[in-house]
Amino acid sequence: MAHEIFRVFGNVRNLTRIYLAVMWTGAFFLLWVFSPIKALPYPSEVWHAVGEMWNKYALGYHVLTTIKLNVVGLVYSTVLSLVISYLSVVPLVQPVNKFVQILRYIPIIGFNLIFLAFFPIGWALKVAMLTAGMSFFLVTSMTGVIQEIPQMRFELAKVLGYNDWQVFYTVVMRPTLPHMLDMVAQNAAIGWVMIASIESFNRTEGGIGSQIAIATDLSRVYAYLFIIGIIALVEDFLFVLLKRILFPYSLIAERG
Amino acid sequence: MTNDMPCVSGPLAEKPEILGALLTVENVGKSFQLEDGALFPVLKGCSFQIHDLKGKPQIISLLGPSGVGKTTLLRMLAGLDAPSEGTILITDGTPDQMRPVRVGDIGVVFQKYPLFEDLKVIENLIEPPVRRGMLTRSVAREKAERYLQDFDLMSHALAWPRQLSGGQRQRVAILQQLMLERYFIILDEPFSGLDPVSINNAISLLSKIAHQHEYNTFIIITHDVTSALIISDHVYLIGRDRDESGEPIPGARVQKEYDMIAEGLAYRPDVEDLPRFAEIRKEIKLVEFPKL
Repeated sequence: MAHEIFRVFGNVRNLTRIYLAVMWTGAFFLLWVFSPIKALPYPSEVWHAVGEMWNKYALGYHVLTTIKLNVVGLVYSTVLSLVISYLSVVPLVQPVNKFVQILRYIPIIGFNLIFLAFFPIGWALKVAMLTAGMSFFLVTSMTGVIQEIPQMRFELAKVLGYNDWQVFYTVVMRPTLPHMLDMVAQNAAIGWVMIASIESFNRTEGGIGSQIAIATDLSRVYAYLFIIGIIALVEDFLFVLLKRILFPYSLIAERG
Repeated sequence: MTNDMPCVSGPLAEKPEILGALLTVENVGKSFQLEDGALFPVLKGCSFQIHDLKGKPQIISLLGPSGVGKTTLLRMLAGLDAPSEGTILITDGTPDQMRPVRVGDIGVVFQKYPLFEDLKVIENLIEPPVRRGMLTRSVAREKAERYLQDFDLMSHALAWPRQLSGGQRQRVAILQQLMLERYFIILDEPFSGLDPVSINNAISLLSKIAHQHEYNTFIIITHDVTSALIISDHVYLIGRDRDESGEPIPGARVQKEYDMIAEGLAYRPDVEDLPRFAEIRKEIKLVEFPKL
């Protein structure tokens, strides 16, 4: 196994991959247990907090609320960003696209007043803020994918006699979908980062962010962070699975 | 449409009858702006004509060293770029009726054989004619299967383009153009990066495809002198004029034309053994190429 895991750019077997995951997880827990940072709760305390929150503080409800918010925000931002990104091939829309990209530098909480003018406090406001915040990043990455399409692909479609819409569909839209899925997966993670601040700002309906904001016990905070980590792992797995099913060709290495 | 004609082998008994012009390139020039704003002419006064030969397909080579402006010329012939000066006219089907070339008039097989990577091989062939409304899906599928069968690609019909070798990609890229019933196809450096055996295979393949239909006219853009002379019935040598000190002057044009049919060198499997072939190759290689 040693020759596999120390080889630069080497491929490893699935079994080795599992060994590595177990080894690093073990190392992480050892580091945690023997950490010199005294404020850090022990794994047993975090585990205990999970049980307590499940029994007394509706952990399941809050986790589901946040997952729901993340999924809804992701769906809306994906649709919105795909439209804005794909329309970036039309010069008329390019300034709008650029403006949306610039907005990603502004913290989402900075838009509070603007959103409050349009949405009542509650679910709709949270969805709107998350959608907007995620879209600022998603538009940027999706537009990047479109700009990287090799010129040769456009020219192939043109010499095949395709009209502008056919070129758009066959060269811009259809082949970039697997990359877009990667961007959406990445954005789902960005969504989790934003959710904490959005839910702590707007605590109606609860959610992980709101619970972290009001938590007085550090072990509860870490319990939530741990849960977010597990959700992230599941989410990443689902996106890879989706890519494998929908776009199998994108996972095939080019033949040399 | 496939296998209409047998592959021509051996010199023609008589010169084929010229029916009219298929493509006329007249005084074409192309300049690009440099950083200091000055115009740099890549091509200047480039002229040649491709004729429709009665009952005979053609393979024409535009031969020149790297960097001389062959790809610039290809892009203009394909209608992808407009010439800075001069005209490129293509027949609209009726004798002597010529019009400016438009993108889509001429098929192009690009150097790296781009295909639709998100479509399987057979779909790469089916989609273009269906999308353009030329064939129904079922007719296109039938035709694609026939082509794949003819060119030893049937076992790769359901493969993704990424799974193909360079040679297989080349075949699929050519067939993709043939699916659109294109008789006029430009191939950009089809021998580039190939080993000698693969070059021979590519020559045989292109000859086979070209000779499948009497209307076929293939224009090969290449810097490979030997391959161009073996496969072509017309070779246009592209190069730059030189000043008094022998330095090349910017702006390449067609320097010389070799009519391989008139030379008795076209369609001969043994062409490389003929003294005249060696003479022409030497003339191009030793006299023209190093100075261009």
